[in-house]
Amino acid sequence: MKLSLSLFVVGILLILLQTTFLHLLPLGPVVPDLILVLCVYWGLYHPTVGAALGSFLLGYSVDVVSSPILGLNAFAMSLVFLAVYLSSRSIWLHHPVVSSIVVLLASLVKGAALILVWTVFLSVDGFWTGAVRYILMEALVAAVLAPVVFALLRRGQAYVEQIRVTA
Amino acid sequence: MFAFLRKNQILLSSCCCLLLSLYILTAAARGQLKNDPIGPLLLWIMRPLQIAAQTTTNWIDEMENSYSMLTGYKAENEKLRERIQQLEVERDQLLEAEATNQRLQKLLEFRSHLPSGVVTASIIANSGSSWFKSCLLDKGSADGVHKGMAVVTPLGAVGQVVAVTARTAKVLLLADPNNGVDVLVQRTRARGIVSGSLDNGTILKYVKRSEDIQEGDRLVTSGFDGVFPKGIVVGTVVKVRKQTLGLFQHIEVMPAVSLARTEEVLIVKADVNQEKN
Repeated sequence: MKLSLSLFVVGILLILLQTTFLHLLPLGPVVPDLILVLCVYWGLYHPTVGAALGSFLLGYSVDVVSSPILGLNAFAMSLVFLAVYLSSRSIWLHHPVVSSIVVLLASLVKGAALILVWTVFLSVDGFWTGAVRYILMEALVAAVLAPVVFALLRRGQAYVEQIRVTA
Repeated sequence: MFAFLRKNQILLSSCCCLLLSLYILTAAARGQLKNDPIGPLLLWIMRPLQIAAQTTTNWIDEMENSYSMLTGYKAENEKLRERIQQLEVERDQLLEAEATNQRLQKLLEFRSHLPSGVVTASIIANSGSSWFKSCLLDKGSADGVHKGMAVVTPLGAVGQVVAVTARTAKVLLLADPNNGVDVLVQRTRARGIVSGSLDNGTILKYVKRSEDIQEGDRLVTSGFDGVFPKGIVVGTVVKVRKQTLGLFQHIEVMPAVSLARTEEVLIVKADVNQEKN
């Protein structure tokens, strides 16, 4: 639970990054979805109740900060966590490229979830063209960033566990 | 039952979260979500952090913008510098064209004072030896240039043609020791021969000791040598020395035409000269 809480704090920091520093990156309107990467990490390496709740809360936090409608990202992140958790038993991550692929697929799941929710609850002109573009770009950016974020999270996790053992 | 729940706690909690989020979504979409306890709390926690992060981001962004602006100024500066260089080249070309135009105009004007049958030529090469003072012109026998013709400019006499090919003519300059031009001192009409010398530049030879020659006297062609038309300026006396012994004075002359500053010349045909003389 402590680890999930730590990762939740990291998630809050990642939201801060997403809403501030990452806008400086020359990626146009696309903002790298680090929360998604964290949820995938959670689903793969720490599938706990705390992680499920953390994914939901982080998604909700994103909604609170930037979504036009509450629950949109909470739903998507919960779905991503669930999908990764269910498939985690058959995924053997040994290579950064595999983690990238998993994050890419997870991002597509998130995109599909958003489209689903969007079409049910919202209606926007020219939604499909924009949605497809954003989904693909977001997925690619997240996939590229995934190995780095995973490595950082692993290092952080090892550090936390070391402190726990020492204590 | 508990065993099942414990075994599938993650799956169940995930499904609960999904359902909860769907409920929130539906409620929010319908506008029924009046009291959201978590949102304000999250925002309250994140607000100071976000302010700090955004301030830092803005600072970084500002720095980046300043840097981009500076880079832009640098690029603009380079562009302007290139433009200035381009304009300077254009200006030089225009000035050069204007100078050429003026020179040619003078040459044309001067040409109108000369008898007809004058060939205009450009100097294409200077002497390749320090022993000889000569130059090469871009006109030759095909243009009607012949050996022995006089070469002049509006400023004065230059030399005479000593060798001709179809398209070039070699000119022996006044300053060459092998050259000699019959001249008159404009003020006193005293005669002499202007020639080059290896040690003293251009000199006026064979002027009697009794002749009144002063520094600054102008020398003009006499027309008696059958090469130069009469009255063409040859140079100015810069030094007069009467030796204790000997028949003649030692007179140094500054040629009227400096080859270094000459580009176009006129070649006066021999028969014309002869007519003149």
